[in-house]
Amino acid sequence: MFEISQAEDGTILMRGRLDAAQVERAKGVFALVQSSCEVDFNELAYISSAGLGLLFATQKRLVDAGEALRLVNLNPHIREVFQIAGFDRVFEIS
Amino acid sequence: MSTEKSFAKSLGSLDGVFDFLQQFVDKEAIAERHAFAMNLVVEELFTNMVKYSGGTDKQVVIRLDKGDQRVTLELTDFDSEPFDPESVSAVDVEAPIEERRPGGLGLHLVKTLVDDLRYEMDDRTLTVSVTKSLES
Repeated sequence: MFEISQAEDGTILMRGRLDAAQVERAKGVFALVQSSCEVDFNELAYISSAGLGLLFATQKRLVDAGEALRLVNLNPHIREVFQIAGFDRVFEIS
Repeated sequence: MSTEKSFAKSLGSLDGVFDFLQQFVDKEAIAERHAFAMNLVVEELFTNMVKYSGGTDKQVVIRLDKGDQRVTLELTDFDSEPFDPESVSAVDVEAPIEERRPGGLGLHLVKTLVDDLRYEMDDRTLTVSVTKSLES
């Protein structure tokens, strides 16, 4: 199960498991992001390199425009994956 | 205990792959953080088989084996293009975002999360076997 939505304040909420079979559903939402916003991982249980790749591509596009994603509420397993990937240097994580 | 199951070489198989892993994790009472890593490792290896040697109706067999404080995960693709893991460029995780390139992350995650990683190519059969300690 994977769900993604964007709140009125721009915060992107992800729920469930972002795996390679689900990443296409997330692409549509991230493609529309044009300015800095928060991505709330509170209800995201799992992510693999497919989701990391999407976040990275979005961040790269935003940083080139002087904007950025901020990631919040990562569970400890996902936080470790971000550290292994070196993404704690690519994203502001809190 | 050892168990194995065949899956169609398609991303649509992933839910079934995760269910298969969860049954094994529950039966063997494997800790959640190891289970998370097992999910990630199997997904990355399976999706690589789908992406780089897909297009056939051959199945991928996943075999799981629990030993003394370790688990072995083995994926066999019976119709694979030759694959040399050494040909995959290392990911520079220290590089700033401007210099980072997408790609290669999946194998980097696998290499970091497991204790042993072996590839064996026999004709068109590719077997990838990883061992992960459950001690720490």
